[in-house]
Amino acid sequence: MRVLSTVPWTLRRMSRDYLVLLLLLGVPIVLLSLFSYLMGNAMAESGRLLFHDTAQQMIMSFQLFSGSVVMSYLYYDLFTEKRMRIFTLPFNKSLYAFSIMLCGTVYSLVLGVLLMTYAQLVLGVVWEHWVWMSYNLLLLSVVSSIVSLILMFSVRSFKTAERLTEIYGVGFIVLAGLFFPMPDNAVMNFLGSYGNPLTLSDGAVTAMANGEAGEAWLQANVLAAASLVLFPLMLLLGRRKMR
Amino acid sequence: MTIASLQGVVKRYGTQLVLDGVDLDLHEGEILGLLGPNGAGKTTLIQTLTGMTPVDRGTINLFGDDRHPFSHANREKLGLVTQEITVFDELTARENVLFFAGVYGIKGEEKKRRAAEALAFVGLEDRADKRPAKFSGGMKRRLNIACALTHRPRLLIMDEPTVGIDPQSRNHILEAVTRLRDRGTTILYTTHYMEEVQAIASRVVIMDQGQIIQEGTVDELVRTIQHEEKVSIDVTDASLVDRGRLEQIAGIKQVTVHGNKLTVISAAGAGNLDRIITIIKEQTGLVGIQADKPNLEDVFLTLTGKQLRDKEEGS
Repeated sequence: MRVLSTVPWTLRRMSRDYLVLLLLLGVPIVLLSLFSYLMGNAMAESGRLLFHDTAQQMIMSFQLFSGSVVMSYLYYDLFTEKRMRIFTLPFNKSLYAFSIMLCGTVYSLVLGVLLMTYAQLVLGVVWEHWVWMSYNLLLLSVVSSIVSLILMFSVRSFKTAERLTEIYGVGFIVLAGLFFPMPDNAVMNFLGSYGNPLTLSDGAVTAMANGEAGEAWLQANVLAAASLVLFPLMLLLGRRKMR
Repeated sequence: MTIASLQGVVKRYGTQLVLDGVDLDLHEGEILGLLGPNGAGKTTLIQTLTGMTPVDRGTINLFGDDRHPFSHANREKLGLVTQEITVFDELTARENVLFFAGVYGIKGEEKKRRAAEALAFVGLEDRADKRPAKFSGGMKRRLNIACALTHRPRLLIMDEPTVGIDPQSRNHILEAVTRLRDRGTTILYTTHYMEEVQAIASRVVIMDQGQIIQEGTVDELVRTIQHEEKVSIDVTDASLVDRGRLEQIAGIKQVTVHGNKLTVISAAGAGNLDRIITIIKEQTGLVGIQADKPNLEDVFLTLTGKQLRDKEEGS
């Protein structure tokens, strides 16, 4: 398992990628602080701080873009000029690709947890279920990574894949109705509920906070099932592309 | 002893024949210089020898194994210095070397020791904890080499390792290559710089259009064209010289122009120098004239009809 020896270095590389840190940590911190200031102590119908729900959705939303990190590292290591050197190394290339995916997912989870910590310690949001929220951040990150890789393996140009992942991220935020209300019809309702990873993870966390454990597990399991269904497709396309 | 060999290797990309029945042996402890114009098939040859590109026909034998030449065990004995700089910008020089050492299964204190040794070998020990993003081109290339050395490969493949660097770094790299050879490493060295091959290679292979067209030591190759004479003539304005008239002189094989320098290759003993000078004086001013001994570049030019650095000079 020579690939294991690369994991600390991949994580170190990601943690030193200042552009990613700015986009997935710096920008959310600024936005969270701004929204906290604007919303003040306004209360929601649920009796919680209105900002609590906003912070939760915002932290979840940024997980949708975590796949871009995985995609970019995988691309630069296995599909650019580095490819030739990596391919001569005595390890399994598919496992190396998988290790990058895992590192990206863990890295994204850590950034999400840092945002949660900031929201709680600095902005006064009290997270009822840290572990459950983290679990859902992880699921969202896994699904986003898989979707991003499927997009990358499916198209010729990396630039196109980047644009598609942006559409995926922004698209599901829009479909979740976070920017403006969506039309009320069956398709839109599905894409704004069980067909939307962001709504699923957000719904799972909210349901658990409201004491509806059954509904919370249902939503989280749909997300987990989505990743299980998409994973073989990603594997198939990835193996074909790496050949 | 043969450490690696290709026999009858054929590789096509679509309808394009890139390697056309290549036979090549690499002997233990030698530096084999691989020369060829752009598109000759050098990089494809390296890709097949490292297992990155499967061949359409022929066999590859690596370290005596032609059934599974690219097994992990064989890959552990192989080092590759790529033409492009393939280090991680987010890691320091030491961390880059440690990354590759780990992949080759080197652990603990030995890994740190080997990393320090590799960095010292390429003269980067004082930059070990700096990131390559701030390195000069030459330093990046040296780090690129260090990454391929930590596991002490038996066979090191270097694909144009000195492209675009300063003379000081080039000398450093060439010295390092020679020291590696002295330690017993076999090296396959491709380059566009003929003088590098002439300085370090024990044997030279010239490729063109997917085929090996000549091989031997530098002296052996030069002897193959000693039936020719080369004269370099500096003129005041080469554009005024009618090359056609020169080429019509008996015994002349080739006339090339670089700036205001004309290079004329004639059959040995043609005795046509007076006639050449007369024609040139009729058309432009004669600045100087020099008779050269044939070198590797002349061999290359004679065999392929191409300048090795055509593309680079044009860009």
